[in-house]
Amino acid sequence: MDFAFTSDQQLLKSSARAFLDERCKPAAVRLLWEDARGASDAMWKEMAQLGWLGLALPEAHGGSDLGMVETALLLEELGRASYPGPYLPTMLVATAINRVGTDAQKGRWLPAVSSGSARGAVALLDGELSWSPEAITTRASSAGTGWKLSGTKPFVAWAHLADVLLVPARGAEGTTVFLVDPASPGIKQTPVTGMDLATRWVNLTLDGVPVGLDAVLGGLGKGQGVLESMLRMGAVGAAAEMLGAGRRCLDMAVEYAKVREQFGQPIGSFQAIRHKCAEMLLEVENTHAAVYYAAWALDAGADDADLAASVAKAYAGDASRKVCGEAIQVHGGIGFTWEYDLHLYFKRAKALEVQYGDADYHRELITRRVTA
Amino acid sequence: MDLNYAPEDRAFREATRRWFQANTPKVEPKTLAERKAWHRTMYDAGYVGMLWPKEYGGRGATPMQQAIVQDEMARAEAPPPINGLGIGFIGPTIIVHGTEAQKQRYLQKMLTAEEIWCQLYSEPNAGSDLAGLKTRAEDAGDDFFVISGQKIWTSSGPIADWGILLARTDSKVPKHKGISCFLFNMRQPGVDVRPLKQITGSSLFSEVFMTGARAEKSDLIGKLNGGWEIAQTTLGYERGANSLGRVTRYLTAFHHLVRMVKELKRNGKALIDDPVVRAKLGKIFTELEVQRYAALRVLSALSKGEPISAASSITKLSYTEFEKRFFELGVEILGPWGQLMPGSPDDVVEEMSTSSGEPGTFATAYLWSRAGTIYSGSSEIQKNVIGERVLGLPKEVRADRMKG
Ligand SMILES: Cc1cc2nc3c(=O)[nH]c(=O)nc-3n(C[C@H](O)[C@H](O)[C@H](O)COP(=O)(O)OP(=O)(O)OC[C@H]3O[C@@H](n4cnc5c(N)ncnc54)[C@H](O)[C@@H]3O)c2cc1C
Repeated sequence: MDFAFTSDQQLLKSSARAFLDERCKPAAVRLLWEDARGASDAMWKEMAQLGWLGLALPEAHGGSDLGMVETALLLEELGRASYPGPYLPTMLVATAINRVGTDAQKGRWLPAVSSGSARGAVALLDGELSWSPEAITTRASSAGTGWKLSGTKPFVAWAHLADVLLVPARGAEGTTVFLVDPASPGIKQTPVTGMDLATRWVNLTLDGVPVGLDAVLGGLGKGQGVLESMLRMGAVGAAAEMLGAGRRCLDMAVEYAKVREQFGQPIGSFQAIRHKCAEMLLEVENTHAAVYYAAWALDAGADDADLAASVAKAYAGDASRKVCGEAIQVHGGIGFTWEYDLHLYFKRAKALEVQYGDADYHRELITRRVTA
Repeated sequence: MDLNYAPEDRAFREATRRWFQANTPKVEPKTLAERKAWHRTMYDAGYVGMLWPKEYGGRGATPMQQAIVQDEMARAEAPPPINGLGIGFIGPTIIVHGTEAQKQRYLQKMLTAEEIWCQLYSEPNAGSDLAGLKTRAEDAGDDFFVISGQKIWTSSGPIADWGILLARTDSKVPKHKGISCFLFNMRQPGVDVRPLKQITGSSLFSEVFMTGARAEKSDLIGKLNGGWEIAQTTLGYERGANSLGRVTRYLTAFHHLVRMVKELKRNGKALIDDPVVRAKLGKIFTELEVQRYAALRVLSALSKGEPISAASSITKLSYTEFEKRFFELGVEILGPWGQLMPGSPDDVVEEMSTSSGEPGTFATAYLWSRAGTIYSGSSEIQKNVIGERVLGLPKEVRADRMKG
């Protein structure tokens, strides 16, 4: 039983911190907030060179064969930096292809992801806004040797930068996941502006988008399982990012409480502030335990991996919202300004709350499992 | 990072589980004598004093093995051993700070529960600010001190043979510097124990009045006027972990709750079919499970011998506050059924279980859950410790510090 990181894992974390402190400073994030596409190609290439994009992919495809714990370590640091870009969705697409894709699909996409020349997006939500894979309404109607996809996919993060879209649809065979070329005819992308400008959302409409047999990921009618495991990994990944955002806000609040003086003393000497900081730390440490337990459980194929993923997502959502919000409170007026950086993380945490299953969805999964 | 249990820990768990399955009494022991007998059975099987060194009758086990025993005990819903305060931290304090004669005299009988121990720290005017205590120990010249004063909230007071006592031996120095620590005989003239009734209806704690009572000089622990440092270490042990067992007790209570929620109806349908109830169950189970992960993290650190000192305040704050939310929610979901109290008489329960409360109902567990955030350093005190010692925030301005 060892809950601590190995020295390699610690090294990965500290080098990620060093890189992001340098290349993804709040000022850099703010520039990207203003950017039309919202992400930096140069930074993406550097992340590829650092080995981050192939972290959990096989060596044969240019990866490092590491797992979810390492991915979560990186995501925590990315969340801490409020890094803008499609890291998590790309990892989800690549992991799904690696797990259930054909050799041709692996050969086409995995080396390209590892080397930084391909990005992905996942269209998990459907028109009905249900996270449940059973509720998919996008249709796959057979047309010749292939299918035509029609439906609405709202809130797809980073679809505009994607080289490949992962789209589940329902057809005669049941639910199937397709790898779709974003340039296909019949796809319309409409950008949607959320409060976190480091998360770019696109509403997709599919109107008879043609796909062939080679687009099927993981087998015809096998979509449910593919989606469930993707949601699990997405949930843990998002929880890790929220952990990072929370830790950043906690650090900022504690530093501020040490130096800001009112009534002739540092505000950190007031219990109302000190106790708030202690509660924030408690939430952050509990989130840490939840995120890394879940990441380990995914890697180890533990019996409770799905439960742990839902627990991590549901817990991290509540905790990071509280921690980032209380950091604003500790700062007073300055915390409410656009110039001060706290809102970068506050908004990042909020944007992640609604991705890969919101807390209500995961709590229902938990209840179903533990009352069965 | 590897959260699998080591093969030897799994084997140990298997053996422990078998033992508790075979030996847990079918009928809850009621009288003190029955509970001592059950304690003795566990002791003889090697399941009491897990962390104590072998030379003092303990098992010399690892923190993981200790946690496994508590976990299996909780799983079997076995009655806990008695003398928890003694075995959990008074004994370890004697092992660290005591003389060889003290170790020989006290440790074995503490472990076997032949002698029951209590903690004589809190006073009517010295709770969180323990160093403000006023009970006096006057050097009587010969070989003893004369003890006069009043203690309060003393758990197990009515059944205790011995107590660990903090008393003032010098009132002219700053308050932390004039306190000494004694092993104190509760069965002597001049000691009057009066049970206090708690909100649960039982009387597990008490007031202790000491008038001209005696503490032997040979029963002084550590140095004269060095009691405060010793109190700090004892508090440290008290904050240590019953990590896994506690979570398993919560889990058992959760499964009881689920059973009830499936049977009970409101507005004509089973509670389990009510989406609001389902959401509440999902939320509280999320928190419960996070308690388990956090416990594994603490165990991992303890197993490596890492100091968890001030960070253990986070653990204590976390589970005691969780416990309140957990039972509040259970009682809320159960509505009027959540109010039911068991009919059991007080005197049958000598020891409290901080995790699920007295055996019985959600109502008692709900009432008990108010205790954990008060004793062993209240939540507010824990937050002060976390703020100052973990986060490095400035100390508060306090009147007693200004006086120096
Ligand atoms: C079930 C139970 C069993 C117990 N068993 C024992 C026992 O066996 N032996 C023993 O010696 N004692 C025992 N205690 C006593 C316990 O340790 C004290 O109750 C505790 O230390 C709090 O002291 P107090 O009750 O005097 O409250 P106070 O110290 O008066 O506290 C009252 C309130 O003020 C808050 N407060 C106090 N100081 C501060 C501060 N600096 N900053 C912010 N808030 C503050 C507290 O958090 C609390 O909310 C037991 C208590 C309970 C409930």
